[in-house]
Amino acid sequence: MKTKKLIAPRYLFLSAILIILAGGLVLIPKFEKHEGISPELLLSNAISPERYISTDELADRYISRDPTILLIDVRDESSFNENTLPNSVNIPLNKLLDENFDAYLNQTAYDVILFSNDSFKANQAWILCNRLGYKNLHVLKGGINEWFSTIINPKEPTENMPKTAFELYSFRKAASMYFGVMYEDQLKIAVPKKTKTTPKLVIPIKKKKKIPTEGGC
Amino acid sequence: MKELEKTKNISIAAVITILLVIIALLAYKKPKHLYAINTKQALKQIVENPPIQLNNYNPKTAILIDIRNQYEYEKGHIENAINIHSSDILDDANSIFFKKLKEDNKSIVLYGNEPSEAISASMILHQLGYSNVKILAVNNSLNQDKLITTPVEIEKKGENINQFIKASIKKVNELSDVQIKPKPIKVIPKKVIPIKKKKKMPTEGGC
Repeated sequence: MKTKKLIAPRYLFLSAILIILAGGLVLIPKFEKHEGISPELLLSNAISPERYISTDELADRYISRDPTILLIDVRDESSFNENTLPNSVNIPLNKLLDENFDAYLNQTAYDVILFSNDSFKANQAWILCNRLGYKNLHVLKGGINEWFSTIINPKEPTENMPKTAFELYSFRKAASMYFGVMYEDQLKIAVPKKTKTTPKLVIPIKKKKKIPTEGGC
Repeated sequence: MKELEKTKNISIAAVITILLVIIALLAYKKPKHLYAINTKQALKQIVENPPIQLNNYNPKTAILIDIRNQYEYEKGHIENAINIHSSDILDDANSIFFKKLKEDNKSIVLYGNEPSEAISASMILHQLGYSNVKILAVNNSLNQDKLITTPVEIEKKGENINQFIKASIKKVNELSDVQIKPKPIKVIPKKVIPIKKKKKMPTEGGC
């Protein structure tokens, strides 16, 4: 009996502490919305221009058949069907966080390149995915409009431009041919010139007449 | 004697645990900024809140904030704009300022050299609970030390690539007598990542 009296208040005290600590769980729902990386880190990631990939770089990777790129069009379905980049997958921005598309965005095997008409929607998608900690995501700088004006329909440099501008133009022109654009100067190469063919000397070869095999014996 | 030793041990353990809890509580730093909405809600908000046009901006109910750096701001800025560089939006002073604006029911309108420059700042503020943040759809450029602000249409549909390619092939074909068949572009098969559906396991009763 004596020992019981001694211990009982201590146990009461300890259990009281446990109950108070359990009360702390009430605070947790407040932190539930705090999903993903901290706002400070997100801000420093978001203002860095590291995520951008230029149209030239993308064209280069297309032509070299880079198997590690995965293009994602974040525009709506109708614009995707109308006109998009080759081999791209459509994930409309408003369905970005659907579970079905998680496999495309949250992985490490591919370099995912997000694009839209300009880089506005793609940037928004990038920031949301970055908050969730998804890696290997990039944004096509300037989007499809920039792709059109630099790769598909590159502007010919004027004569007073530096040599690098001409080199860039020849690369872009070659790239546009790769994607199916045809130029008038291609005709010269395409139409084979008629060369005078010297008539071949024909030496008649006398064919040996087959002599019917005469049966022996 | 044995009973007494036991109770002694218990009390020592209790004191240690309490000390640990107190230390943990003291060491715990409350994060300065907490997200007010999760990513799904944020996505819904950005889809519903497109950037506003310059002529829809009302200086009585909104405050313009220039998120470019100080030098660009000093070179030229839109009238009545305040300069807060996008990397400084989480500073203490600015947080107080934004909170005050929200309490006063004023909207915060951000602009940069181009609309996508303001996305990072606006989206982070949105996710921190400032639903009154908007982006101004303008392009800014300097011309002879004067700021030129031009309204811009965001996500404008450009020229159709497929049609342009077809037109270029047609043009070449018309010029030449010989019909050149365009080289078919080798279509690389689309990558399909199999989506593994999580099987719902029947919850097994513990114990």
